[in-house]
Amino acid sequence: MLARMRCPLLLVVCALAVNACTPVRAWERGQLARTEMAWDADGLESALNDHIFFSKEASSGGNSAAGGGCGCN
Amino acid sequence: MATVLTLRHSLQSTIAILAISIGSSALAAEAGEQAPNFTLPSIHAEQPAIALEGLRGKTVYVDFWASWCAPCLKSLPLYNAMYHKYKDQGFEIVAINVDNPVEDGLDFLLDTPLDFLIPSDPDGVTAELFEVIGMPTSYLIAPDGTVKMVHMGFRDGDMELIEEEVIKLLADN
Repeated sequence: MLARMRCPLLLVVCALAVNACTPVRAWERGQLARTEMAWDADGLESALNDHIFFSKEASSGGNSAAGGGCGCN
Repeated sequence: MATVLTLRHSLQSTIAILAISIGSSALAAEAGEQAPNFTLPSIHAEQPAIALEGLRGKTVYVDFWASWCAPCLKSLPLYNAMYHKYKDQGFEIVAINVDNPVEDGLDFLLDTPLDFLIPSDPDGVTAELFEVIGMPTSYLIAPDGTVKMVHMGFRDGDMELIEEEVIKLLADN
């Protein structure tokens, strides 16, 4: 009985999950332009973190920073 | 057999849920079609509400803009000049602001005063009615309410194209 219930239940959960997906309309894109929506909300802090990471790990690149990991910058 | 029936039943209910969640889509404002009517409050609280139907008999340029949209801000002063050039020939511009909060739009207008009608649509109700898919989008509407041109974006040289269409429509009516 429980096994038989599992399939429709899964479908209902999936349908409800799909319902939560909503496109950002053209006139709502101002919300995406807000500073708190940025991937790196604080530019200075993320630059410092990148610098620390570069010093400790002796590597660069793979993040948002430029460079090829040759240790020359 | 029972499993097949259960599966069919669950599929039917899934489709029903999806259909409800997608909902019915409003008619888009496309060239050749009648522009959807709207009534919106002016962004300036002391000014009366603006209804598209009240502008019947005029050539109307409806534009959707926001303060966070760079091409919109570039286009608006140029629209203001176009408005002054043709307003005596029955030309009207309705620049619908979709800023939420509305104060963002008002801040821009403090630095750049505009003389045409500026309704406020912070919830995007009218933008949804027109099915705006990019910012800015503008609609050139003939005096009988028919959409003559839909223009999306604002790049160099677009102003000449828009003005050309406005002149053509003013000459026809």
